[in-house]
Amino acid sequence: MVRWREVRILYLRELRAALREKMIVTNSIILPIVLYPFILWAMFTGIMFVQGQTEGFVSRIVIQGLPPAHAMLGRQIGRDDRIEVRKTALTQAEAERQIRDGDLDALVVFTAAPDQGQALPDNFAVTITSDAAKERSAGARDRLKGVIARHREAWLKRESGRLGVAPAAWQGFTIQERNIASSQQMGSFLMSLMLPLFFVIMVAMGCFYPAVDSTAGERERNTWETLMSLAASRGSIVTAKYLYVATMGCVAGLLNMAAMALSMKPILSPILAKTGETLDFSISPWAMLVGVLGAVLLAGFVAAGMMIFASFARTFKDGQSMITPFYMIVLMPILLVNGQGVKLSWAMAFIPVGNIALMVREALTGSFPWPQMAVTVVISLVLILASLRLATAILRFEDVVVGSYGGSLQRLVRDRLLGRSPKSTEVRT
Amino acid sequence: MSQSTVAVSELVKVFYDEARGEVRAVDGISFECQPGEIFGLLGANGAGKTTTLRMLATILQPTAGTASIMGHEVCAEPEEVRRSLGFYSASTALYPRLSARETLEFFARINGYPENRLAARVASVIERFGIGEYVQARVEKLSQGMKQKVSIARTVMHDPPVLIFDEPTVGLDVLNAIDMQKVIGEFREEGKTIVFSTHIMSEAEKLCDRIAIVHRGRIHATGTLASLREATGCHYLEDIFVHYVRQAEAA
Repeated sequence: MVRWREVRILYLRELRAALREKMIVTNSIILPIVLYPFILWAMFTGIMFVQGQTEGFVSRIVIQGLPPAHAMLGRQIGRDDRIEVRKTALTQAEAERQIRDGDLDALVVFTAAPDQGQALPDNFAVTITSDAAKERSAGARDRLKGVIARHREAWLKRESGRLGVAPAAWQGFTIQERNIASSQQMGSFLMSLMLPLFFVIMVAMGCFYPAVDSTAGERERNTWETLMSLAASRGSIVTAKYLYVATMGCVAGLLNMAAMALSMKPILSPILAKTGETLDFSISPWAMLVGVLGAVLLAGFVAAGMMIFASFARTFKDGQSMITPFYMIVLMPILLVNGQGVKLSWAMAFIPVGNIALMVREALTGSFPWPQMAVTVVISLVLILASLRLATAILRFEDVVVGSYGGSLQRLVRDRLLGRSPKSTEVRT
Repeated sequence: MSQSTVAVSELVKVFYDEARGEVRAVDGISFECQPGEIFGLLGANGAGKTTTLRMLATILQPTAGTASIMGHEVCAEPEEVRRSLGFYSASTALYPRLSARETLEFFARINGYPENRLAARVASVIERFGIGEYVQARVEKLSQGMKQKVSIARTVMHDPPVLIFDEPTVGLDVLNAIDMQKVIGEFREEGKTIVFSTHIMSEAEKLCDRIAIVHRGRIHATGTLASLREATGCHYLEDIFVHYVRQAEAA
């Protein structure tokens, strides 16, 4: 029998003690807030650093055969601080050797335009020799391509104007990009790529240590028997512990989601500034509600599962080993559904854990497929109830409750719940 | 008979052990205790004392027989039984991350002590056990002696009429053990019923009003020290104990 007054007293004691335990505070509160924003920051800072290193190079090049009509191109290249034009006469073979040795970054050779290209006076072809396996050489090639392409386009425009030909006539066709997504939609899309994965990891991580601490930890500290001798019912004790573990998982998931949402803009702003994009990483109220629902469902299931495994452990170490396989199993569906383009379809709504991640992802992008979400909720509730039912069945066995059972969950289910061994002792719950 | 605060009748506990098969840890133990009495279960390690006391505390369920505390049957009303007793053993540790005060408040509340009298009760227990100096300190920071005092205090926080002490002096130094014996004696003076298990003869001799000799899950003799001396012709409890154990082995 569960008495809510007892549950409240026991639950508050668990929480109070947990919030004084470094390992639990670190894993269930600090890591969710700090870890993934930090990883994201480190990743993008790394990218920026590498880009900065590449951009900081001065490209050493040699130009050969620049047509006099395009002397302006030579001046443009010469004005570019990032490019150093060397006045050295080199054969193709010598230039290639120097590029390979890292003494030169690129050789630019201008030649006459082939065939029909010659119809346009002063037209040219250009060959850039570089070493694509060398970052600095590849960077020089890209810089030259950009400068030459801009010059060529300006020159063609000027020449076509002089000949009375409209740009559309010689350009053939042009591609213009138009992004109809708002900055909020783009921000949501980016969040939806990362948040659900981190969310599931964090909920599971948030449950992990409290589950071990409240079961195997009690035995290791010799407080299990103290607990069993309290006037509270066994039902109240188990309920309080379950709610405590689920709360920690739920809090970890939600803190992580909030921290990621708040930190993405400042982390991504250096990159966004370069592209000229403005992204809005705010989460809509509905998405928040779905996030909370997802956290509750996921934590409800993970807490029950982890406590079932941990209830067989006698020491903290045992508990960690017993829970780890379940932790990995919980994360597996996420790998299946984390690919781009995977939606919360009817079929996906039946995949435990994965369906919750997809539900949260859909909500973040502003999509709310309510029927599939309802199926997700039902499937998750069924899973939670099944886990709690199994936990209740297991805790009927006295030796499991007092910690003297030496077998595993699998063995207990096989020998006792499936009735293959009549030897069992039961206690009230 | 109706005055018995603790009544145990033909209590049996069978464990299933893969290596040994069925193990009868307790094999038909019966006794009764009265208010203001210290009843001692004296036996070697593995005699069945702890299992008996765990059944009384409803931590384990009897395989057969009955036991009641203050008229509440252990199988039918386990929570009422636990509310009526304080259980202390070497394996009932305190929560290390709570302070001494939080510990006392928690045990009073969860064992059903009325909320409106809780503050006064906490204050009086703190004073009685002299734990005021470190009442705000976390249990994990306390010395063994301090922890022992807090442990006893939490056992009686809800003022239960029956106290169970399972080998309470195990692991304590001489001075702390003497303190513990003194406190148990004081509880008797207050009219509480105390069920006490030990394998230390001098402790049983010093504290217990009546002693039960337990061997291999059975009680082989029960009585006052004087009556046991008279029945066996031995003076020292150690000799009395050996007398009954040998008799049991021979049977």
